Amino acid sequence: MRLSSPFFHHALSTDKVMLLVIGALIPGAAIQCFYFGYGVLINLVLCALVANLSELLFLKFRGRALDALKDNSATLTGILLGLAIPPTLPFWMSIVGVSFAIIFAKQLYGGLGFNPFNPAMVGYVLLLISFPVEMTAWLPSTEIASHFPNFTESLQLIFLSETSRGLTVADFRTVADGFTMATPLDHVKTAHTMGKISSEIVTDPMYNTNLIGWNWVNYGFLFGGLLLLATKTIRWQIPFAVLASIIVTSALLNWFDAERFSTPVFHLTTGATMLGAFFIATDPVSASTTPKGRLIYGVLIGFFVVTIRTFGGYPEAMGFAVLLLNLAAPTIDHYTRPVIYGHRQGNTNV
Amino acid sequence: MNSIIQKAPGHFHGGIHPPEFKSLSNQKSIERIPLPEFLLLPLKQHIGSVDEAVVSVGDKICKGQLVAIPTQFGAAIHSPADATVVAIEPSLVGHPSGKPVMALKLQVSKRNSSESFEELKSTENSEWKTLPLEQLINKVQEAGIVGLGGATFPTATKLRTQPVDTLIINAMECEPYITCDDRLLQEKADEVLQGALIASHLLNAKQIIFATEDNKPEAIESLKKAILDSQAKNVKIVVAPTKYPSGGEKQTIELVTGKQVPHGQLPASLGIAVQNVATVKAIRDAILFNQPLTERVVTLTGDLVKTAGNYVIPFGTPVSHLIELLKIDKSQLEAVIFGGPMMGQSIRDFGAPVTKSTNCIIFNKKKSNQHDWVIEAKQHKSCIRCSECQQACPVDLLPQQLLWFSQSEQWEPLEEHGLLDCIECGACAYVCPSEIPLVHYFRYGKSEIADLKANKKKSEKAKERYDFREMRLERAKAERAAKHKKAAEARKKAAQDANKDPDGKQAAINAALERVKQKKNKQTSDNKSSEGEN
Repeated sequence: MRLSSPFFHHALSTDKVMLLVIGALIPGAAIQCFYFGYGVLINLVLCALVANLSELLFLKFRGRALDALKDNSATLTGILLGLAIPPTLPFWMSIVGVSFAIIFAKQLYGGLGFNPFNPAMVGYVLLLISFPVEMTAWLPSTEIASHFPNFTESLQLIFLSETSRGLTVADFRTVADGFTMATPLDHVKTAHTMGKISSEIVTDPMYNTNLIGWNWVNYGFLFGGLLLLATKTIRWQIPFAVLASIIVTSALLNWFDAERFSTPVFHLTTGATMLGAFFIATDPVSASTTPKGRLIYGVLIGFFVVTIRTFGGYPEAMGFAVLLLNLAAPTIDHYTRPVIYGHRQGNTNV
Repeated sequence: MNSIIQKAPGHFHGGIHPPEFKSLSNQKSIERIPLPEFLLLPLKQHIGSVDEAVVSVGDKICKGQLVAIPTQFGAAIHSPADATVVAIEPSLVGHPSGKPVMALKLQVSKRNSSESFEELKSTENSEWKTLPLEQLINKVQEAGIVGLGGATFPTATKLRTQPVDTLIINAMECEPYITCDDRLLQEKADEVLQGALIASHLLNAKQIIFATEDNKPEAIESLKKAILDSQAKNVKIVVAPTKYPSGGEKQTIELVTGKQVPHGQLPASLGIAVQNVATVKAIRDAILFNQPLTERVVTLTGDLVKTAGNYVIPFGTPVSHLIELLKIDKSQLEAVIFGGPMMGQSIRDFGAPVTKSTNCIIFNKKKSNQHDWVIEAKQHKSCIRCSECQQACPVDLLPQQLLWFSQSEQWEPLEEHGLLDCIECGACAYVCPSEIPLVHYFRYGKSEIADLKANKKKSEKAKERYDFREMRLERAKAERAAKHKKAAEARKKAAQDANKDPDGKQAAINAALERVKQKKNKQTSDNKSSEGEN
């Protein structure tokens, strides 16, 4: 019996919350695996392992109980980062990213609950700005690839950077007619930079087929996200605000010039939109914690996602947007504190 | 006549839906228990200071006799039985501090066997309506009545806080397990209503609202019948959806009126008084039958109790007596909970008695998987800032922030974030996925803030004294300086006068002449007087 009240407790434990989030990632991850190969799966396993190893090592260094490993938060960080990196990223880069995420972005701040930044995104952004070429080298989706790596080839690409037949990542990125395929976000960005207009871009059948893969990945994460909402593992404010803000911002731009700016549907269903809205921006530790604050937090993330994608140097922006807002979360929380009972001016109806 | 029953117009933020366990005890009629051999009657069963005993060891006392009176703020205590006082000493009575409290040990002389919970036999005082209000309120005070919902605030004081427009009878009973108010309403709705009408008369209230939750349909039905039978006007029942903690006074008010009691003010500022069901019943017994408060209905429940139900239990009855009566397997029992599982108190010493605040005692099997709930950094998991606590908080606090400030002992931001508005309902800790003992942290923070304030007050007083002393010294110095200045001036003046006559010769001559003159005068007068004498 506990010493003091309350004597009742009923809630999902933190360990289970993390497990539920991991579980909800499965549909999206499976689809990503289907369209982009075994590399995705290998990365997930590798990242989860490295994350737990880093966590274990630093819990030990810090003299903390190793029980903390059981909270599954390191696994989740590893998995989120594993989903964000290209399926053929050299293994040592993944290791650098994940261990940096766990050690620098989490453990050095005091472990779970004390990290001001989303660890997975810190790792992701570190990799992105350190190895921009490798980090944007996504494979084309399986339907348009001229060669699609099987399991062994994926392993070889990741760990040896070429297959036994001497093929490299560059070879696998070439589609039927000799083009190198980028992600739709990258493709559109490059095309716009080269002066192409949207109506020209969407006529490219290769691009369109590739886009379908990305759309499905996003649907998968959307489905998982809805599961999280249904089980009340996350609250609606952040995903709603992120998505609504992406729609509004991109719709405004698109309305201003449809040939230069992509549609809301494009922004919603490509890149890391759904993964970000439901699984990354909602990381409770680094996000805003007040109901109003979460809306503001989400709206600003959505805004930055579209603006950085459109005007920034990188094709994808979820990582940057989330980290930027992590920085702002304490301030947002400070100014959005709910009015405490009895402190309401005028004391009118609730 | 459905207009008597209304849906609650307001709602409050947050809240939780814990399992209720009410059906364990709300199916059985209230029974009276046989008296134990000894009663342990604490002299503090109310908010305020410890009472002073007005009986001494060896005294034979009878049921209902006044045994202790309040020294400052408090409520009188009466003997629940014919008994002999065997000791008056500090005893362990299950006080939250764990410290002993002064208590009377009574040996019960007439252990009459259980009688049913029936009508009081003395004759009804039908004259009460003609008596002045103050006299009636004094009667409530003399009967030792306190808020029986658990807060034990002296009722007479509450009745004197006027003006009041609406009297709310709190029948929410939102904590799991507890059914004593529910049963009381099912069985004695007419008496409770009578009590409410008396309380309303004492408060000059214009309307009475019974506030309850929708999980007590039988109580609502029986109350409705009582209201219809009595043809009382301006009495209605407001039914709120079951949600913890709707029985908190502030939450009840918000549910019933849609308004919030302004911070730092009493419900009376909204023209509202809130009384508990059992309290108004006690008021009735005091006014109509001169019955002091010596016993109450207590829910005895839990998975170790085979005959869970509600029992009339005299104050001072130790838990051990109840364990015997209910034939509870003691080996399975580690501690009992006094009150509900959300805000109650765990008691490990079974000598602890039932007091005015005891509305429920829960006897549950000990669970091996539940660790002791203590504050130690490594004992609980980290807060992941999921904000479920914020979603559950009925006063709209941010428990996750409060925890942060409590852990880092930042008392000022802690207070600024509203810690003192926390009602310790435990909803936050209930939903916390990391099982953090939030309420424990908040109690700790509150006591630290109280300490800090006391120290600040003390140092302010010291500073005031110091400043006054400085001022006084300064003043004395100034006064001295002024005196010295005056003296110096006088000397200076004298010196100046002297300067007019540098050698002082003329002055010396004048002085000598004066002396001679005086001498002469004296001689003549002396001669005259001596002549007169002769």
